Amino acid sequence: MDAVEQENSERQKKWLKDKKIGEGTYAVVYQGREAGTNRKIAIKKIKVGQFKDGLDMSAIREVKFLRELKHKNVIELLDVFSAKTNLNLVLEFLDSDLEMIIKDRSLVFLPSDIKSWVAMTFRGLEFCHRNWILHRDLKPNNLLIASDGHLKLADFGLAREYADPGYKMTHEVITRWYRPPELLYGAKYYGSAVDIWSVGCIFAELMLRIPYLPGGSDIDQLKTIFRALGSPTEEEWPGHTKLPNYVTVGQFPKPPLRDLFTAASADALNLLNKCLIYEPRKRITAKEALHHPYFFALPYPTHPSKLPKCSTKQDTPPLGEMDGNLNGKGRKRKLSSPDGKVRSIARKLDFGQVVAGSDG
Amino acid sequence: MATTRAGGWLQGRTVRKGGALSSTNATRSSTPQQVQSTSSTIYGGGVKDPSGRTAEFFVRQSMDDQCPVCKSDRYLNPKLRLLVSSCYHKMCESCIDRLFTLGPAPCPICNKTLRKLAFTPQTFEDLTVEKEVAVRRRIAKNFNKRREDFPDLRGFNDYLETVEEITFNLINEIDLPETEARIQKYKAENAALTELNVQREEAYVRALREQEDQERRERETRAFELQREEEEERLLRESDKRSIIDKLETSDKDALKVIAKAKAQALKRSTARNASNSTAQSSALLLRSRAAQSNIVPDVPHAPFNDEYHAYESMFSLKSTYNDFMSDAVRKDREGIMRAGGYMVEEAWERAIRCAVAGLDLSPLVGLDDGIPRLPGLDDSGDVVMASA
Repeated sequence: MDAVEQENSERQKKWLKDKKIGEGTYAVVYQGREAGTNRKIAIKKIKVGQFKDGLDMSAIREVKFLRELKHKNVIELLDVFSAKTNLNLVLEFLDSDLEMIIKDRSLVFLPSDIKSWVAMTFRGLEFCHRNWILHRDLKPNNLLIASDGHLKLADFGLAREYADPGYKMTHEVITRWYRPPELLYGAKYYGSAVDIWSVGCIFAELMLRIPYLPGGSDIDQLKTIFRALGSPTEEEWPGHTKLPNYVTVGQFPKPPLRDLFTAASADALNLLNKCLIYEPRKRITAKEALHHPYFFALPYPTHPSKLPKCSTKQDTPPLGEMDGNLNGKGRKRKLSSPDGKVRSIARKLDFGQVVAGSDG
Repeated sequence: MATTRAGGWLQGRTVRKGGALSSTNATRSSTPQQVQSTSSTIYGGGVKDPSGRTAEFFVRQSMDDQCPVCKSDRYLNPKLRLLVSSCYHKMCESCIDRLFTLGPAPCPICNKTLRKLAFTPQTFEDLTVEKEVAVRRRIAKNFNKRREDFPDLRGFNDYLETVEEITFNLINEIDLPETEARIQKYKAENAALTELNVQREEAYVRALREQEDQERRERETRAFELQREEEEERLLRESDKRSIIDKLETSDKDALKVIAKAKAQALKRSTARNASNSTAQSSALLLRSRAAQSNIVPDVPHAPFNDEYHAYESMFSLKSTYNDFMSDAVRKDREGIMRAGGYMVEEAWERAIRCAVAGLDLSPLVGLDDGIPRLPGLDDSGDVVMASA
């Protein structure tokens, strides 16, 4: 056993798998704990064998960037080890995501809650951007919530470095509903503004409690965006008609945001508006957003520990009482005669009385 | 003669307001249910409340109802309808048509000149009440000052006193020319304020009506919701019953157990539904409890960054342009494809500069011998800590 293998097996022993909690296309996620401290962790086992070209690209990206990023609002990669032919990522365990919270109708969001979540999202994103990393898959599903309420950016499977001199990038990134128009138009040179658009959509979704721009296809996505925000003009977004996949999807007027977000404060709408500017270079940056008056205005952002959480427990009513009631009728003995055949007929015959008696 | 008849009315016989009448008076089925005008003239006026609900007064059951002028009564003319003149005398529609169609003519009772259109339907049984109401309406139209319009209560009370005096004079016809002059004087002096108060009153009425509408809509939605829920519950119960029967037929488990299980399930479902209903209803309560909770852990004001990363930006400055092949590429990109996508060559420059200067300020790595490669210049959030900080 050489030094590398020895190191690997030592690391492997540190982490214990408990149970499977999810499965994706290229990975299985297990809940586990750290051997010494019993700290809860998640182990993401990357399936290697199925891919001809070796490791899946997203696994490489995830390891590459998460090894570098350590921030309160970014998921922490604790360790990486291999077992047999699999690659295992040890991540901190986070029990819920923002999508679950948005969909939980029993939760009520205060304006300060939304402010807190958006601020944490921007903080995590600013950290990625300052390290020249684009997340490229921001959506409520990928914003995980720790047990202490902190929000963390996760799933760096589509992340990429940016601001390198002039390499083409793919436009086939970001879940459609959160994808900015420049990517829908097939832009191959873009920047951090793509993530800001996604945050804008998430911000709107937090206020509406339903996805803000749910398009059925890529073309429909453009239509949905323009219907909500008006068609871009050449002054608003110079050069967009020259983008590779430019299509015309019809002219739509620009309705005021206030019509949809009736309860939002003026500051909130201003920030939302700046996140959803068509011209990517004019779109607010994460750093600027964190200095936006919305975050400084009252009410203060909710302290993370007080943010609404999903309740996973479900109460089941006690069954004993029902059973007791029926047994009290004193028919049980009569029904349980030893002969199976007779019993089934007898039951049918007796049934009417039971129902009549218990409903009676 | 006519006055004794009218006096007879005042003696408390059963009278009804036309609008509130139900069809209980089966004694004369030929009595019209609706007041019908014998002529084509539509008489306006009378007393109406803002909602228009006040109805015309007329006597239905009384056969004694008689026109003081032509003496025709309800027996002869079932459609008899008596209207009131501006001098507060009654006569039937046919008399009005006969006497006043050719223009103004004197009242057959008091000789005051009357016009056909000045006749109004009767609202009150007692004509003195009718008169008083009409006078008060007229006065209230002009004398509509409110308490707010006076600096003190004394002034307001004096004003009310004056209004009452004028009203009394008009009703009892005391010093009529002088009273009319007073009204005219007041009108001229207070035109603007009167108009303002009229508008205020209208706005109030409108708001009231809107509120009523809103409440009615809410009631309707609630009722509909309730009905829907009940229907759902009924369907569920039926399907439960059917499924019990099916199960009892097909399975050979103990009948009581099957029923008990089904019942338990139904109970579980209904409690779950109730719970979800109550959570929806108690969202306000929840908000209140959230508000109470906020005192335990105080919310802190927003701080843009929790580290000092941007502090070292003062240690370098970016130029507006660099001699770089990428800037050429962007400049040559005449169609602006790179720019339209949001690519910024400035970011590439900034990144290069930052990479060049980052860490210049850090002390050299030490302590690699503990086996864990840990950079000394990182705080717990992993951000670079400035040596100067």
